[in-house]
Amino acid sequence: MDPKDKKITERLGINRRNFIMLAVGGAIGTALSPLPWKLTDDIAIWTQNLPWVPVPATGEFSYAKSVCTLCPGGCGIKVRKVDDRAVKIEGRTDFPVNPGGICPLGMGGLQLLYNEKIRFTSPMKRVGARGTGAFQTITWDEALDTLAERISGLRDKGNIGTLAAIDGNHSGSTMPVIIERFLKTLGSPNYMRMQTSQDTCETAAYILTGTRGNVGYDLENADYILSFGSGLLEGWGSPGRVLNAWGLWKSGDLRDSVHIVQVEPRASNTASRADSWVPVKPGTEAALALGIAHVIIKDNLYNSDFVEKYSFGFDDFKSADGVDHKGFKTLVLEKYPPEKVEEITGLDAGDIRILARDFANASAPLAVCGRGKGALYGSLYESTAVLALNALVGGINRKGGIFINEPLSVAGLPVLEPDISAKTALDKGRIDRAGSSFFPFSQSLFNNLAESVLKENESPVDTLLVFSANPLFTIPDAGDFRKALDKIPFIASFSPYRDETSMVADLILPDHNYLEKIDDIASPAGLQYNLYGLSAQVVKPLYDTKNSGDAVIELAKKIGGPAENAFPWTEYEQVLKARVEGLYEIQSGLTSYDGSSPPWQRSGSIVSPSYSDFDRMWEEIKENGLWYQQPYTSRDIEKTFKTQSGKFEFFSSLIASSLNGIDTGALGIKASGDEICIPHFEDASLKADDSFPLRMYPYELINLSSGWIPNPPYLNKTLLDDQLKKDQSFVDINPDTAEQLGIKHGDMIFIESPQGRIQALVNIFEGAMPGIVFMPLGFGHSAYDDFLRGKGSNPNEIIFGGKDPLSGQTVWWDTPVRVIKA
Amino acid sequence: MDSALIPEGATRCSAGRFFLWTLPWLGLLAWGGLSAVLCFVLGLNQTNMSNIFAFALWIVFDLAVIALGAGAFFTGFLTYIIGRKELKNIINAAVIIGFICYSGAMGMLGIDIGQPIRGWFIFWHANIHSMLVEVSFCITCYLVVLSIEYLPIILENRGLQKIKELKLFGHNLHHIMALFAATGTFLSFFHQGSLGGMFGVMYARPFAAREGFFIWPWTFFLFILSAIAAGPCFTILCTKLTEALSRKKLVPDNAIQLLARISGWLLGSYLILKIADTIGWIYGIVPRAGQTFMDFYREGPYGIWLLVCEIFVFGVIPAIMLLTPGIRKNTKWLILASIMNCTGIVLNRFMFIVVTLAIPVMPFDRFWSYLPTWQEWGIGFAVIGYGFLVFSLSYRYLPLFPKERELNHTIN
Amino acid sequence: MKEIKTSGNKYGMVIDLDKCTGCGTCMVACASENNVTVRADESDKERSIAWMQLYRINNGEKFPKTQTGFFPRPCMQCDEDGNGGHHSPCVSVCVSTATKLDQNTGIVSQIYTRCIGCRYCQAACPYHARYFNWWDGYSYFKPFPDGLERSLSPEVSPRMRGVVEKCSFCHHRLMRAKDAAYAQGRRELEEGEYITACAEACPVQAITFGDLNNPGHKVSELIKSPYAFRLLEKLNTKPKVYYLSSKEWIRRMADNYLPGEQVKGVKL
Ligand SMILES: Nc1nc2c(c(=O)[nH]1)N[C@H]1C(S)=C(S)[C@@H](COP(=O)(O)OP(=O)(O)OC[C@H]3O[C@@H](n4cnc5c(=O)[nH]c(N)nc54)[C@H](O)[C@@H]3O)O[C@H]1N2
Ligand SMILES: Nc1nc2c(c(=O)[nH]1)N[C@H]1C(S)=C(S)[C@@H](COP(=O)(O)OP(=O)(O)OC[C@H]3O[C@@H](n4cnc5c(=O)[nH]c(N)nc54)[C@H](O)[C@@H]3O)O[C@H]1N2
Ligand code: SF4
Ligand code: SF4
Ligand code: SF4
Ligand code: SF4
Ligand code: SF4
Ligand SMILES: [Mo]
Repeated sequence: MDPKDKKITERLGINRRNFIMLAVGGAIGTALSPLPWKLTDDIAIWTQNLPWVPVPATGEFSYAKSVCTLCPGGCGIKVRKVDDRAVKIEGRTDFPVNPGGICPLGMGGLQLLYNEKIRFTSPMKRVGARGTGAFQTITWDEALDTLAERISGLRDKGNIGTLAAIDGNHSGSTMPVIIERFLKTLGSPNYMRMQTSQDTCETAAYILTGTRGNVGYDLENADYILSFGSGLLEGWGSPGRVLNAWGLWKSGDLRDSVHIVQVEPRASNTASRADSWVPVKPGTEAALALGIAHVIIKDNLYNSDFVEKYSFGFDDFKSADGVDHKGFKTLVLEKYPPEKVEEITGLDAGDIRILARDFANASAPLAVCGRGKGALYGSLYESTAVLALNALVGGINRKGGIFINEPLSVAGLPVLEPDISAKTALDKGRIDRAGSSFFPFSQSLFNNLAESVLKENESPVDTLLVFSANPLFTIPDAGDFRKALDKIPFIASFSPYRDETSMVADLILPDHNYLEKIDDIASPAGLQYNLYGLSAQVVKPLYDTKNSGDAVIELAKKIGGPAENAFPWTEYEQVLKARVEGLYEIQSGLTSYDGSSPPWQRSGSIVSPSYSDFDRMWEEIKENGLWYQQPYTSRDIEKTFKTQSGKFEFFSSLIASSLNGIDTGALGIKASGDEICIPHFEDASLKADDSFPLRMYPYELINLSSGWIPNPPYLNKTLLDDQLKKDQSFVDINPDTAEQLGIKHGDMIFIESPQGRIQALVNIFEGAMPGIVFMPLGFGHSAYDDFLRGKGSNPNEIIFGGKDPLSGQTVWWDTPVRVIKA
Repeated sequence: MDSALIPEGATRCSAGRFFLWTLPWLGLLAWGGLSAVLCFVLGLNQTNMSNIFAFALWIVFDLAVIALGAGAFFTGFLTYIIGRKELKNIINAAVIIGFICYSGAMGMLGIDIGQPIRGWFIFWHANIHSMLVEVSFCITCYLVVLSIEYLPIILENRGLQKIKELKLFGHNLHHIMALFAATGTFLSFFHQGSLGGMFGVMYARPFAAREGFFIWPWTFFLFILSAIAAGPCFTILCTKLTEALSRKKLVPDNAIQLLARISGWLLGSYLILKIADTIGWIYGIVPRAGQTFMDFYREGPYGIWLLVCEIFVFGVIPAIMLLTPGIRKNTKWLILASIMNCTGIVLNRFMFIVVTLAIPVMPFDRFWSYLPTWQEWGIGFAVIGYGFLVFSLSYRYLPLFPKERELNHTIN
Repeated sequence: MKEIKTSGNKYGMVIDLDKCTGCGTCMVACASENNVTVRADESDKERSIAWMQLYRINNGEKFPKTQTGFFPRPCMQCDEDGNGGHHSPCVSVCVSTATKLDQNTGIVSQIYTRCIGCRYCQAACPYHARYFNWWDGYSYFKPFPDGLERSLSPEVSPRMRGVVEKCSFCHHRLMRAKDAAYAQGRRELEEGEYITACAEACPVQAITFGDLNNPGHKVSELIKSPYAFRLLEKLNTKPKVYYLSSKEWIRRMADNYLPGEQVKGVKL
């Protein structure tokens, strides 16, 4: 050390000794001061108020009444709000459909409203390549002008017939009406609505009863429910209402008196919770229904009163032209003895007999159909068979039976004669040939559409409008439709969501979210009484979106001419109101419900309306979102049958006349002669093939949205870890089948059909029918956000089936597949 | 270079070699440091702990080192309270090992809890019914005691001895050491016990639950016994390792042998009680919960073999070895027996923590298994690195072993 | 085993498993009512948060005798042992008194601002009813995408990382109901004025909620049913959540039974 420094340090008196003293003393001093304690406390408080943990703003609490339109269920909901924020959705006890409860999807609705990542926040036009999802924000004017010009162009060039619309809105509601009206007035016949099992059942009812209306099921009053694959607990019909009925069946005395039978190849929730489970081979349900009919007829258990008074074609008959015809009875007795049905369905003949007798001996037996949620069309002949089964026990328009209702008597919109150019275009006929003499019993055939688009080198569809639908994800056609879309020059999507179809669209005209808009539900699916639900604007629209109803009206005005004339209204609400005027005419029906007497109890004689004039009625409906009628009012059995015979037709004169001179083989009908006109079983499944020894059956879950509506994140919590694991969904396989295939639980496998392959993890499930692999619908999105994208596989991608006889739809419930270990 | 600090007359390797020796341990500390930062910044999602394995590797480490660190208070107890003078030759090492174990455990706990900054709520909002509160209080207090016991040893460093005040201070501390030894003993008995209590009181977890005496489940007493049975053996292992590495004899055999013999007796008596407890559990708690003994070992990797290893392989056998003078006096066998003894105790802690949580209680619940992440291992190994570092430094600069000089004199 | 009578109310729940359809609405209702966070990967069941958790059970029979059923599992609100014994499993172990049993409601609370995240309570709870916040629910590493936080309710405070949370029997609804009653000058709540979000939402009315101390309440009637039972009753945790099932195989699943032991509830 340098001597100078030494001096300094010494002068300062800093040597090692007192330096240490200083340090130690200082430390002790600080420790005893309040400082450390204060700091400790402060940072602890900080952890209790971490700045990034949100403090939800509080404010005035209120409830907004509305109706959920996420599915055709039409449940009453009340939304709890804090100032302008919606914070909770709850079921309404003052609504007859779902007294109090709602389904998981409806409960998760707020995550559809507020999740910015799955919504379009303004109109957009595509800038990048299709499917890349590269869009650019534009104004509504620009969006509507672009579309108006394109459509006018088509009309001027005389090929307005290349304009088409796909609509996922619920049947009977107002949107389908104005969208079809928009197309028709311009001259395009190509309005296509996504087909549900509701449509199939209504067509079946039309074929046998001549009434095209709503098919209602009086579940609450039935005491023996025979469900042909209907997912009563998977979201079938109006889930809010069906689940409520389920609760009633399991309460009090009904607990023992009501019997529920589920016909389904897999131990679904419904099958497991039902009183008995009848596992049939997929696609053979009709055979079972007719086998049951066979036993009922043979044992003389059928309702002779109904059959004699109200039915035609039960017994053999001679037609006007003097030809002898076989009747339902003969055919069923010939063709469906239990032993034969045993071969077809794989059920035990004895069990079938017992089932038939129990069904017939029940005081209010009810057979229902429509696979799973009923969100996808079903088999037409199967529906007629099930309807015939109900008729056989007299269960048509009878307490506890099936109700064939007139369509809700909303007012039609003023009719407009299409101008000449429109007429000529309309006469060219639909691209999908639905409703033509070839497919007289279908309203829309997407398989045909895809086929013709792919067939011709120039797409017969130039401009496609998509409303409330995500066909790219939901159509069971192994992606043919996607290929078709790629060929369609211009696609405009009105979806509020960034779904798969929107991602390939050229123009986005986003609708409001269902909680931001007024819209209607006319007769929730399967409800046995007339009900009109009106949703309210629960929260002010969050973004630059537009009610598609208003968008269509503005579009019409921009196009001008006949379109403008067809849409004299300034806003969508006026259209709704105009239609409701029809309900006013009836001069009956209620606009509020207090829970005291559920409509299905039909305690009420016809109640005189609470409103004096129409405007008052409209206000009441807007306030409660509700108009409904007690059942039985306006229903008597003679009026129901508008067939040629004026009766319920076991032998359909409608089929006879429509298929007269048509090559029924082209319709996929194998039967011949009289049988074609009578409910019967058609084996539509493709012949067993050694290279594809297994069958794939898609199934649905009530807690996984599989349709156009994206699955709210909260619903992911409810999925079990043998349904989704990380990014892989599972396929249910019977232990024995798995053993033969040499695969075990958790293995990654490819499910391969002639149309392609998808992968999944193996879930060994005793409740799966051997030889069939079961895959949930709703997984495998490529759009939306991290909560949905890339999770699991979509069975629709490998669907491969023949055509459903009579309807001409693709069979989606029976795909030949093979399984390969990945 | 640092020779001025090295104890009087003791020979140590060069500073350079010593530095190289510390590198691996510094490496472990770095690994642990990184892991700790990740856990603090990103949260405990960095681990594979879960709502099923709420306790996992870290708690196993904690309980293990605390059990093994029991050598400190127990040797202190024997030295100062019972007055076994021969143990004065090993007490310093025992204290430092104890200090390392307890401070290491505290450090890990600080990372293990979800809100470390609120950790002091344990004391401020203490729930006196919670065994974990008792543990926290005793461990914290005992760590203070250990520090006080460690301090005079530090003050014996040649450098510090030059400062009169500190020398004096250290000297006086030595005189009152018996007092702290007594306090430490008392505290330790309790937290070793309440560590066992923590699991015994979980009456809704039949695998861990135990009856007991007054508020203390049997595990309370078993944990104390097992800890003082293993602690001394761990101290022996540490000193033997130091001797091997420094190629010196540091502790006279009589001290080692005494500890080994006592360990043997304690381990033996512990096992008798442990076996009794297990039998009582099998015929009491288990059937009352509607389960059979084997139900617990039906699934997963945690089979009955664990129990066999814990009680017989790593229990009865080392006990016999330690109690047999012939075997005990052979250093190689003594080391093996000590290792087995410590292994058995660690296995016991592992069972109570991980296996308890892995076994479903609800019949429809599934069996879960768990593998730690590298972050979890990082924190665990950091404690080991920290241990080697502190012990090496202490050995190099402090007169840990009073007999070091003469023992090595006689040899040369 | 007689229950201890708490001074005031003792809120409890009865879940009818014959009705329960496994729809999961109760789970969604609970999450949305109580600001439960949701992550992109909810299939990580070991770390996802669900105050109400649905367990699917299976009778194990071969096709076609297979049946599945469901156990909706909220917090059991375990009570203390009337026989002067122990406390609720979690309450007795909590180091910082962040969770406690309210003698006036029978509800086991959880105060996040108090919890230090030691997770001892999770180890002690045999029902897995307690959930730790492994992630920052909302921070920069947020699972909630932009905008979703707009649906958070101010009635239940969002939780911070590193604390344990669990079903609170929708305690804020009790507060809400009390406020309403007090406003009308009432001290006692009528049946149904305070019900939980899950009970309210269940579309098949499988969940009944009420005061077990009030003989007039439906729950008090229901728990007398020969079909009534609780989860892991043998452990004497005294749950206030009861279940009903007419199926023995389901009742057997609710507790551990020795071979040949008679299952609680009437034999069918
Ligand atoms: N140490 C400590 N004390 C606190 C707080 C804290 O963070 N730490 N928090 C303060 C704050 S912010 C609050 S909100 C109050 C709340 O705490 P208080 O309401 O003052 O006390 P609790 O006992 O929690 O509430 C009354 C009873 O409500 C029942 N309960 C059931 N579920 C819940 C629940 O989810 N939360 C609560 N709080 N009670 C429930 C319990 O039986 C509880 O005993 O406590 C305050 N006191
Ligand atoms: N599930 C459940 N629900 C509960 C409770 C429960 O324990 N569990 N507790 C119930 C009870 S008893 C009560 S009293 C209430 C209490 O609920 P809160 O009043 O929410 O009490 P804390 O849970 O402490 O949350 C306090 C929050 O306030 C925020 N905060 C802190 N300082 C400020 C400030 O200066 N300004 C603003 N705007 N915010 C601030 C912090 O972000 C912190 O998250 O919650 C009730 N709700
Ligand atoms: S059932 Fe349909 S209408 Fe009812 S809540 Fe669910 S989604 Fe909405
Ligand atoms: S909501 Fe009701 S039916 Fe659905 S899972 Fe929960 S308890 Fe069961
Ligand atoms: S269920 Fe679990 S969390 Fe709920 S009170 Fe019981 S022990 Fe506590
Ligand atoms: S985690 Fe929180 S609530 Fe659970 S014991 Fe620890 S401090 Fe108590
Ligand atoms: S009681 Fe409330 S907090 Fe508990 S599960 Fe039901 S909804 Fe969730
Ligand atoms: Mo509070």
